[in-house]
Amino acid sequence: MTEERFWLLFSARLSGEATPEELAELEVFLQENPDAHLRTGMIENIWSVNPPLSEDYKEAAFNKHLQRMSNHFSEPVLQYESEASEEPVIEKKPRRVIYRVIGWVSAVAAACVLGWYAYCYFPFASEDVNTAQAQNTVSTKKGSKSKIQLPDGTQVWLNADSKITYNENFQDKLREVQLSGEAFFDVVRDESRPFIIHTNVIDVKVLGTAFNVRSYADEKNTETSLIRGSVEITLRNNPDKKIILKPNDKLIVDNTEAKAETASADIAPDKHRSNRSSLLTLRKVSFKENESGALETLWVKNKLAFDKEPMEDIALKIERWYDVKVIMPDDRIRKTEYSGIFENENLEQLMEALQLTGNFHYRINKKEVTIWP
Amino acid sequence: MKAYKELYYQLFDGLHRFSYSMVRSKEVAEEIVSDVFIKLWQIRARLGEIGNLKVYVYTITKNFSLNYLQRTYKNAPVSIEEVEVEPIVEMRNPEELFISAEIMQTIRQAILQLPPQCRLVFQLVKEDGLKYKEAAEVLNISALTVRNQLAIAIRKLGETLPAPVQKLIPATKLFSAS
Repeated sequence: MTEERFWLLFSARLSGEATPEELAELEVFLQENPDAHLRTGMIENIWSVNPPLSEDYKEAAFNKHLQRMSNHFSEPVLQYESEASEEPVIEKKPRRVIYRVIGWVSAVAAACVLGWYAYCYFPFASEDVNTAQAQNTVSTKKGSKSKIQLPDGTQVWLNADSKITYNENFQDKLREVQLSGEAFFDVVRDESRPFIIHTNVIDVKVLGTAFNVRSYADEKNTETSLIRGSVEITLRNNPDKKIILKPNDKLIVDNTEAKAETASADIAPDKHRSNRSSLLTLRKVSFKENESGALETLWVKNKLAFDKEPMEDIALKIERWYDVKVIMPDDRIRKTEYSGIFENENLEQLMEALQLTGNFHYRINKKEVTIWP
Repeated sequence: MKAYKELYYQLFDGLHRFSYSMVRSKEVAEEIVSDVFIKLWQIRARLGEIGNLKVYVYTITKNFSLNYLQRTYKNAPVSIEEVEVEPIVEMRNPEELFISAEIMQTIRQAILQLPPQCRLVFQLVKEDGLKYKEAAEVLNISALTVRNQLAIAIRKLGETLPAPVQKLIPATKLFSAS
């Protein structure tokens, strides 16, 4: 066998492309030349090693990619694609693909033009145009959380049992989303297009900042906690009243009061919990030692936190976090306050820990937790 | 979206390496791969019409990389044969292979001295596990050429390795009671 033939067969074997005849031929040669084994063995070693990039690197690259992709669709220019389509020829129906891509682009262009006309000529109907538009909805079930990125790059962490909705025209003039439940927003700054979050009782308008909004329909209050930047909050029933928050401010709006809102909205400085009946309460976000973030945002880091909260509020949080039902047949336990931060604890561990600090009994039966004094 | 992410994770390594070997910048290669995936997203409804997705994405990656080079450098290469290719033969832990760092260096040198096309063939077939036919399509050459080029690469590699007499692991080391 010539040297050349040997390497040809050997490389074909390495890449799994050798025919059975070729394999046999190589085998015979190697048996007759045992020395060659050492060399081939070493190359085989080198061949088989193929360390993949780390998952972290891929993850980061993928996130960056999603960001670029969303930017791209607002301003579609592929950076490295030349004007003339450099599509490789696809075996089947190659032309069609190219035309269809063009078709797709022009369809989008046409839609944009039409949208603009509709907007210009039917200003009064614009509301209808908006509602007729396709909506994107992201929602989470009880017991699960999610993180999403909006087309403008804004990051949203969605807590359990929450829903966020935005229109297809999200990026046009305003960046508007509808929220029910709890979400932490890290908004990309864009002064020309304010970011507005609509909830049942308040609208939160921001430019670029990070903050948490908690607005569950079954809770007493709607809370907005600002981490950095600034936000402007208006009550849906009283749009003239604007409240500006500064970093580490937390605004609590009483849901029932807000719905029966009269024009006289006053901010009551936080005195005590008994002051619940006032419509608006302004206080500071809470920090705990050894925790880097504000208590209000710890859920983003998968930590369940309570800060002197009555059991009835805690029960709601537990129900969402673990997707269970909490039953308190005896009312006395409802108002007892508890604090604590729990990370990666399961329901049993959490209940066990809470029980250590307070006088109550509990029983877990599948998806039902019963608590009594 | 889940399938899309999986596809990205599956192909990222290979495409990034392939692009990097031409553009020689991790960041640019990353952007090129990103562009390739934007493209895939745009035509996602028609992906079924593509005969061989792997060949398709490698080919777009090649085209985008060449476009980048043409745009960035004045005397840019117009075809793949002219591109200075830097293959990345990553071997994280030479000890695992019982190969000294010195030998590793020799291997890298040997690969660097291969003609560009030969290097790309080596990389596509070895690192990315492309079939001869697939690599041929991507590089726009015949499968026979791929076969021959790979043999040349492997031979060069074999010739740089130490003489066969030298045993890799002394048997005594393996079997002596420690």
